[in-house]
Amino acid sequence: MSSGRLAVTGAASFLGARLLRRLAAERGGDALVALDVAAPPPALGVRHRAIDLTEPASDQRLLEAFREDEVESVLHAAFFTSPRRDVTHAHELESIGTLSLLSAAAAAGVKHVFLRSFTAVYGAAGQNPSFLTEDRPLPSGTGLRWLRDKLEAEQHAASFARRYPGLGVTVLRFAPLFGPGVHTFYTRIFDHRVVPMLMGFDPLVQLLHPDDATEAALRAIERRPRGVFNVAPSHPIPLATMIHLGTKIPLAVPHPIAYVAADALWATGIGDAPGGFVDFVRYPFVADGAKARRELGWSASYSSREALEAYLRYRHPRGEAGPMEATA
Amino acid sequence: MSRPKVVPLRRPAADDADEAEALRQQVCALEDQLRRARESSEGRPGPLVAAARLLQELRGGLSWEKAARFWSDVYFSYHSEDVDEFGHDARFSETLMPLFEFLYAIWWRVEAQGTTHLPGEGAGLIVANHSGVLPYDGIMINLAVRHEHPARRTCRMLALDMFALLPFLAPLLSRSGAVRANPDNAERLLRKGELVGVFPEGVKGVGKPFKDRYRLARFGRGGFVRIALRTGAPIIPCAVVGAEEIHPMVGQANWMGKPLGLPYFPITPTFPLLGPLGFVPLPSKWSIEFADPVRLDAYGPEGADDPILVNRISEEVRSTVQRMIDGRLARRRSVWFG
Repeated sequence: MSSGRLAVTGAASFLGARLLRRLAAERGGDALVALDVAAPPPALGVRHRAIDLTEPASDQRLLEAFREDEVESVLHAAFFTSPRRDVTHAHELESIGTLSLLSAAAAAGVKHVFLRSFTAVYGAAGQNPSFLTEDRPLPSGTGLRWLRDKLEAEQHAASFARRYPGLGVTVLRFAPLFGPGVHTFYTRIFDHRVVPMLMGFDPLVQLLHPDDATEAALRAIERRPRGVFNVAPSHPIPLATMIHLGTKIPLAVPHPIAYVAADALWATGIGDAPGGFVDFVRYPFVADGAKARRELGWSASYSSREALEAYLRYRHPRGEAGPMEATA
Repeated sequence: MSRPKVVPLRRPAADDADEAEALRQQVCALEDQLRRARESSEGRPGPLVAAARLLQELRGGLSWEKAARFWSDVYFSYHSEDVDEFGHDARFSETLMPLFEFLYAIWWRVEAQGTTHLPGEGAGLIVANHSGVLPYDGIMINLAVRHEHPARRTCRMLALDMFALLPFLAPLLSRSGAVRANPDNAERLLRKGELVGVFPEGVKGVGKPFKDRYRLARFGRGGFVRIALRTGAPIIPCAVVGAEEIHPMVGQANWMGKPLGLPYFPITPTFPLLGPLGFVPLPSKWSIEFADPVRLDAYGPEGADDPILVNRISEEVRSTVQRMIDGRLARRRSVWFG
């Protein structure tokens, strides 16, 4: 296909590491460059560049690395799935880091950039249609720092795609991952015996199995379509059904209290997410996967429920073990 | 589980095609039987069994795990584990059905007419007048389609965004099969060949004061016509009489509704005066009438871009519904007895 190498940023992240392993098995370690502050497993035999995207001169170092290693395409997966308490660092990595990466890629003549994004960028809002398509305009402002950084990264990608026609940009908006090996703030909340939800609200949620996510990314890397793609499972699941399938006790919180309580818990270091995330269990953000089916030829093999069941089997391997034995 | 009965095939001089067809039908019937048996024996106990099991286990002391399992068993006794892409839960709507059937047959004594105008298969857009403060009319239209049409079709009602965002009501509507009212959803359902019910009057219809009853509001901007033109689905005008009287809105206290996120806050003779009792709808006599379908396939999808055509069809449908309502009102002697 191509002679140049594929660089993977965030190669030590969950999705990045899985993709690196799969790609190394398919193309051999020499065709890959891992860009991350943490080193990849030596057995993969991939080149490693310890470049910190938050450093001021990171674009210069990236440019050198791209030129030296003859990088031809980049998979950018250096994003935080969970909210960070150090919001400045997260902003530097996600928003500014994406900007440096894109400018280095454009300067080095990289052909294609694949950006890992989230279906959460659509924002959870009452006005959302039942199926969010890729052409839905993204919210212009948000009080949630986590979301703002992702939105800015997408904006950078869109503007680079416009300004540099030679640079192909694929944005993959993944639905929330749920399945074996996934450890995020929402799985942490879900792992408790009592799981909070909002009184009177029961939105549909989409859970994407990591195997499906990997498969979709590989398909995109292989076919290189330009543009934005939702990577989402076909069938959503109501939040209450999700909690009961996991045999958890739902705690119904009135929504005016929930925002304040979540913010207070987050500020005191107990909570897993700030109050802005309450919107995501109040309103749906269900993405339509039709475009990926059409143009990537990919559709999820696990429904949301199957992804959840895979996660539950992974957390409680004996099947019959309730949440108590397993967390002990 | 009892084994499904296998009907032995006759062996007449029929040709192979006949035999194949008979076999196919038999396989279909068996698959149906199997599916139903599987559904009824999903391994989830009913609420009573769950409660009995919990009581028995309680002798060993209560634990989080037991409580969670009990709760989950109760939940799944009236919810299925899977919903469709719009969030419709088949078992949940089955659970609610007796209540709605009571309302349909006894409380409001709904009289359905013209159900033969509904298509036996394929897409169709039912366009009705909206009234009654709470969206009971949609549920009753659905029941009329379900019970009075020979094909026992179900109809997906498009619920106003206002209802689809209200706490408690929103998940209830979504699980019982209603779909958020927007053009994309309507088109998606019609392309799948479903019957879709829509109230083009929207909030202006459902929230109109009692003195304006049975006077149709503007039919939006004809969006429903455009969808029907694009998908080629026939429009079936439908008139609901009786729903205006279930919650006669004599006044509005919109200053109350605003902080609650409601476009209006209704004041009826019973609400908020009688508190929760105010939610009990009055037992008026209902009639639901379907008119001849308006076929639009002759115009083709291009017709959707012709605003004059769209307006004309919209107005035509509106006047049909108004005519049916007026005719029914003229024949009606009493609000309560029809």
